[in-house]
Amino acid sequence: MICPDMEVKLNEYVDGTLPAAERALVAAHVAGCAGCRAAVAELQALLAAAGALPKSIPPRRDLWGGIAVRLGQRATGNVQRAFWTGALAAAAVFAIVVGTSRLLPPSTALHRPAGQGWAAVTADYEQSAAELVATLAMERGRLRPETVALVERNLRIIDAAIRESRAALERDPGNAELRQLFAAAYRQKVELLRWATRVATSS
Amino acid sequence: MASDPTDLIHRAQQGDQAAFEALYRQHVGRVYALCLRLTSDPAQAEELTQDAFVRAWQRLASFRGESALGSWLYRLTVNVVFLHLRGARRRSLRVLTTDDPSALERPAGGEGESDGPAVALDLERAVAGLPPGARQVFVLHDVEGYRHEEIARLTGVAVGTSKAQLFRARRLLREALNR
Ligand SMILES: [Zn+2]
Repeated sequence: MICPDMEVKLNEYVDGTLPAAERALVAAHVAGCAGCRAAVAELQALLAAAGALPKSIPPRRDLWGGIAVRLGQRATGNVQRAFWTGALAAAAVFAIVVGTSRLLPPSTALHRPAGQGWAAVTADYEQSAAELVATLAMERGRLRPETVALVERNLRIIDAAIRESRAALERDPGNAELRQLFAAAYRQKVELLRWATRVATSS
Repeated sequence: MASDPTDLIHRAQQGDQAAFEALYRQHVGRVYALCLRLTSDPAQAEELTQDAFVRAWQRLASFRGESALGSWLYRLTVNVVFLHLRGARRRSLRVLTTDDPSALERPAGGEGESDGPAVALDLERAVAGLPPGARQVFVLHDVEGYRHEEIARLTGVAVGTSKAQLFRARRLLREALNR
């Protein structure tokens, strides 16, 4: 048993935070008191064990997906190239085409690098949507059932619009209005998925 | 990871998400371990780990490199965890505060006693079973190596409270491990 009133002193003793004179007094007491000596040994063993606990524990699942979808929300005036990877990359292209950008500041729309063709843009949208669908599938357990139902109902409507505009574009690939329709539908899809994922990961 | 960490940090500060993902892969284990031990709740620890990395991304420009990225990130993580816990405490006042100080002495996770001595010997489990305030200070001081002054600043408790919680945690752990 620890002597009454020695607990704090013994803790500070093993922590090495006692002034020298006090430290010597405690050391002398511990040398002559089996109970406090045992307590010091236990404390030292506990500190050693605590310090030896693994510093790193892998999470049970990969958490990057849920992080990546939220990185685009960074509030910054300084828009960088990589900012536009993923969902926003495609949206940026169409912000120029559509001309009504809610997704990015107007000044940046004029300055995006050229050279991304229609196919690359479509692929970008599809990849973003697919990644978001996958993330949402992982996180959907955190959404209320009504929210899941709402998201799914809206996704069905948007997917139908995407299918129709894609089919129309295959018949008339040069039609700018059709491209706008297609882009608007896909942007809606990406926005809806981003919203749902954000709600799921922050709930 | 072959990439130079300074280069990764610089690229991530420029907005390169792939570089940030590489930094995430390097540090996620420590961030998650910290969140897990502070909360004793894997699902909450996963959310807080994600919150911490999102916050780190948002604040990366303010990282000037005086300290290692790791220590900056882990401090930020502790901040995220305690901001969350304070919010949670406000939302469920009755659950986490008590007018009965002896209630704090009873380890929270005591249901699994029938598992036998293996449980008592497992320091990790014993830590998880500590009352929250004692557990958090123990994790920060004895596992992570923070000083009481830093703990007080990070968690919003007084230095004396931090010490009292630490000594209480050690007493409860010695009891649990001796059982
Ligand atoms: Zn004694």
